[in-house]
Amino acid sequence: MPMDPKALAYFAAGIGAGLTMIGAAGGIGKLAAAAMEGIARQPNAAGDIRGGMIVAAGLIEGATFFALIVTIILATKS
Amino acid sequence: MTKALCLLLTTAQETAHEAADGAHQAVAEHGAEAAHGAAGAAEHAGDGHDPGAVLMHHVVDGPLFGLSSKHLVFLFVVAAVVIVVARLAVASYRKGRPSGIGTPVETFVVFIRDEIAAPNIGHGSSKFVPLLCSFFFFILAAALIGLVPVPNRDASGTWSLGGITSTGNISVTLGLAFVSFLAQQYAGISKYGFVGHVKNLMPPGIPLMLFPIFIIVESLSVVTKPIALTIRLFANMAAGHFVITALLLLIPILAKVATLFGVAIIPLSISLALFIMALELLVAFIQAYIFTLLTAIFIGMYAHPAH
Repeated sequence: MPMDPKALAYFAAGIGAGLTMIGAAGGIGKLAAAAMEGIARQPNAAGDIRGGMIVAAGLIEGATFFALIVTIILATKS
Repeated sequence: MTKALCLLLTTAQETAHEAADGAHQAVAEHGAEAAHGAAGAAEHAGDGHDPGAVLMHHVVDGPLFGLSSKHLVFLFVVAAVVIVVARLAVASYRKGRPSGIGTPVETFVVFIRDEIAAPNIGHGSSKFVPLLCSFFFFILAAALIGLVPVPNRDASGTWSLGGITSTGNISVTLGLAFVSFLAQQYAGISKYGFVGHVKNLMPPGIPLMLFPIFIIVESLSVVTKPIALTIRLFANMAAGHFVITALLLLIPILAKVATLFGVAIIPLSISLALFIMALELLVAFIQAYIFTLLTAIFIGMYAHPAH
């Protein structure tokens, strides 16, 4: 159906933002669950696990932000 | 060294600018986006401030104190701050133990030397510790200084009060990632020579048929690693500012609908913005740590490849 390309861009930006959120939160949620379980099993490894968790979360967020940049470019197009 | 960095940054800015808006020429400002042109036209037509445009004005580069790029100005401000703090920390050593500002600086430097450089680079890591410290302190200082509001003017001449994070400009982070890339290549080439370094890219023990694929994949990965570093740092810093500005912009937007809404949303908006600023503090530390850690890991990968 014919739509103004600007409207399509806004539409796509909204859907893109939602999908990005699903991916990021799902991935980091799984990561946090595994980290919590690891700490529960071995409380004296908590420091190492916490460090690895932060690094992995940062890397996942990095990939998320690639998608976020695309979304922002779409949402602010004129 | 700084001159090379300046040249690097200006050329990187120009290429990023041309890549960003190919069709929308005739914009003299560095880093101005296409939305800015439309917003400028709307403002001149007396349309009021389009919220998307105001958002972009806060985050995107603009002039400051007559110089054409506020992010670049703050790059040098942050660099000066880091150098001054480092000198003060070194000067504060009395009888072999630091005092005053030297104590937290020493904590960080020891952390970088023992937890980031040594496990990842192995022996010969002390050559790279100054570089890693520079990265860490610069990114951290840029993020922290970016939380302080400074009055600035965007390219269309409207004054606003906002934080200026130097690493929230992709040219700045591209410059940092390029230096990291140079350090990685130096680590490999200084030990094995250029041909040996290229040969080390191929992991050992793969069947002959997979050679072409691996050549492509490995050479691409040499280039994509700094690009990933660039975008990760840039997006984290810019997104923080974006969210804070968006939350605070809720006040005037809702006030246009009905003044009561605007007033009612003030406590919620400000508290959310404060929370996001606190989160940005955390993110600043984490991003500095991740950039430094990844640089150390890549340097280690090239200095001691798996044989």
